[in-house]
Amino acid sequence: MQQLPTTTLVVTGEAIGQYAELTQDFNPLHLDSAFAATTRMGGVIAHGTMSINLILHSLAKAFGAEAVVNVDLDIRFIKPVRVAETLTAGGERESGDARRYAVWVRGVEGEDRLVGVATLGPAALG
Amino acid sequence: MKTNPILFDDFVVGGELGTHQADYDDKIAAAWCAIFGTSQPEGAQGAGVAVALMMRSYLAVAAPRPPGNVHTRQRLALQALPQPGETVRMRVWCAGKEIKRESRYVEIGVQAAGDQQRPLFGGRLTLIWAA
Repeated sequence: MQQLPTTTLVVTGEAIGQYAELTQDFNPLHLDSAFAATTRMGGVIAHGTMSINLILHSLAKAFGAEAVVNVDLDIRFIKPVRVAETLTAGGERESGDARRYAVWVRGVEGEDRLVGVATLGPAALG
Repeated sequence: MKTNPILFDDFVVGGELGTHQADYDDKIAAAWCAIFGTSQPEGAQGAGVAVALMMRSYLAVAAPRPPGNVHTRQRLALQALPQPGETVRMRVWCAGKEIKRESRYVEIGVQAAGDQQRPLFGGRLTLIWAA
């Protein structure tokens, strides 16, 4: 498979609050708009690892559960995700290695929010 | 209970920060589904819960933290998916630290095992430490 199927998520304030509960990450940068406005982020941002779930969804959609059981991810958070943004995750196979995919999560304008590499284990490709 | 934030200078590379245990229970499953939905491909939830538990372990063990830390990089190697009802035990340590371009980078390692010590996942969180 050359391209991973895309996955989309609208990052609502409610979703950020729910993700804070899930991870027990109550950093005010994610939850307190007054505090977040005083930081270099300039406002509330979503938890970075929320976006990683979209990459895992794309991999699972493409290759099934075996892909996510045997995956190595190396992700860099490029730009913060703001409340109400619509994110899309996807990826492309890297040339010369069927196991490696360049993966990304982007905003609606196409700008990267995170980028990385997903390396699938042998079992993932069947 | 430690009250002063852990500072960059406090980290010892290779030093254990602690362990954390979490149950993959109905509450965690419901919380994940509330965000990402119930019609997910097989494996997506288990992998996503692994990510969430990894974060929980770091946050529980490396505390208190100075305000303003920034998560810049995440590595994750899954070996098996946690299963609903399983207890996940995670070891957390300082995997590295360095100053680059006047920023304090700390790398946190997490290794997780499930029931009967079966290996589940390992991860590395890279953070710019605020103080």
